[in-house]
Amino acid sequence: MRPLLHIPDGFLAPQVALGLWVATAVVIGIALRRIGQRGPAAASQTILMGLSGAFIFAAQMFNFPVAAGTSGHLLGGVLAGFLLGPWAGSVVMATVIGIQALLFQDGGLLALGANIFNMGVIGTLGGTLVARGIAATLGNARRATLIGVGVAAWLSVMAAAGFTTLQLGLSGTTDISIGLPAMLGTHALIGLGEALISVSAISFIAVSAPEIFAKSVPAAPTSPRRRIAAGLLIAGTTVGLASLFASTSPDGLEKVATDLGFINTSQAAPFELFASYSVPGFSGAAGTALAGVIGALVVLLLIVFLNRLASARKSS
Amino acid sequence: MLQRSSQRDARGAIVAALLTILGIALLPAGSYVVYALVWLAVATAGAASGYAPFTLARRGLIALPFTLAALPLIFIRGDELIWSGALGSAQLSISGAGLRIFLTAAVKSWISVQVGTILVRRYPIESIVGSLRALKLPDAIATGAGLTVRYVELLRGEASRMLRARSARSASPVGETRERIGGTIPWRAKVTGNLAGALFLRAYARAGRVEEAATARGAAGSLSLGSLIQPDARLLLKVLLALLAFTAITAAGALLPRV
Repeated sequence: MRPLLHIPDGFLAPQVALGLWVATAVVIGIALRRIGQRGPAAASQTILMGLSGAFIFAAQMFNFPVAAGTSGHLLGGVLAGFLLGPWAGSVVMATVIGIQALLFQDGGLLALGANIFNMGVIGTLGGTLVARGIAATLGNARRATLIGVGVAAWLSVMAAAGFTTLQLGLSGTTDISIGLPAMLGTHALIGLGEALISVSAISFIAVSAPEIFAKSVPAAPTSPRRRIAAGLLIAGTTVGLASLFASTSPDGLEKVATDLGFINTSQAAPFELFASYSVPGFSGAAGTALAGVIGALVVLLLIVFLNRLASARKSS
Repeated sequence: MLQRSSQRDARGAIVAALLTILGIALLPAGSYVVYALVWLAVATAGAASGYAPFTLARRGLIALPFTLAALPLIFIRGDELIWSGALGSAQLSISGAGLRIFLTAAVKSWISVQVGTILVRRYPIESIVGSLRALKLPDAIATGAGLTVRYVELLRGEASRMLRARSARSASPVGETRERIGGTIPWRAKVTGNLAGALFLRAYARAGRVEEAATARGAAGSLSLGSLIQPDARLLLKVLLALLAFTAITAAGALLPRV
């Protein structure tokens, strides 16, 4: 099973492709500026980036069996981003995706901006920031880092698949309502392989070369506000994506009640805010995802409120 | 003196390829006559580069799996129905508009891949990277791409040797011949991750040696890898021809009939 993330030319509307070229150029421009600010270290960073690009190419040869005829293999965005830093990682992935398009015709030239945006910007830059956010939220210990990398690697594949489908939908070459669940469903498994390989690779490096691993973990302590923001982003993204897979079938009690014929004896709730996990004005998957995000926010606010209440009682 | 292939100026070809692909992307849906004409022109350019049309056409099929993304449009769009009926227990309909979008995307990607294939056939990747640098590709990307291209085979060789070692130790993928399969899925994933980790450490060590060698030779800052040594004297003419081709494709798309 191979990921369908390298969009060929002909599938994106020119305005979508060119718009994503501009967005990608802006982000990669910022990344290059950030790398350039490292002064004399920038030259050695560039050499490491070049060799890391070759590493990503070679590491994509590694696959592992999942089931008969199906194998997982590495995309490497979060791995590169975590080891080299989010900005350098995104430039490495941009280079790799560009060479793949030129050398192997794996992805189009006009669609290159979109492919770099999906895998290099969203997948690598975004994925690495999520990995670091999770690691910082959980305390930056080795286990926290590995959890962060695993979750981010899975999310990076899912986000790239989601963005790819949205761009195809905007271009009129796919139907989002059918394409999105199909792409996310397939890539959920691919993402699992990506997460397992990335975590194992980082774990191996942490044991074999602790000095390289230590360089990858940001030393600066994270403020509580940033931790909360990172937590919100992660919870929101996870809930939003997971909501798309919410079952529309009745739960266990409803099923039994229907089968035994006493479902009609149930009484309606006195009020309905988000009936059947949907938000008024939003239909389908968007409504379910929004309901999930609102639910997560309500739980967060409740926890904050209870925490403050407990603190106030303790101090009094 | 013979010009080394890695020093050739590919700027004109890159501009021509990009403009051709842009022209193809801008063609309206259902312009099958224009698609055929453009493919004939591309196949002619391919033949001039030593690519047999059939081989080139087969190479273009590389993008075929992606057409799956557009396939549902044939069956779910309700407009311009071509056929509707029952297929077993399922009710099925085929939309003319959906079919047109599907075929358009498939043909456009098929021709575009062939354009890219000809570019790489005519110019080695080192020339293309050097030409992109000359087209103002940022130094960090050009140097990084140059190093990636230079060391990719070396690291692929390392990866192949690691995979052979893994096969001998029973963690090989299902279905491959003469290889034993062992362990649980998480264990196999861990082995694969360990291989990736070990390969990164080798790449890291190699990067250190490259830097030492560069410093020893007096390099400071940019390595200027992938530089263009001899510019093409006919560059302007090639760019003008590329613009002419782009205009011709766009005009044909606007003037010739669509289905």
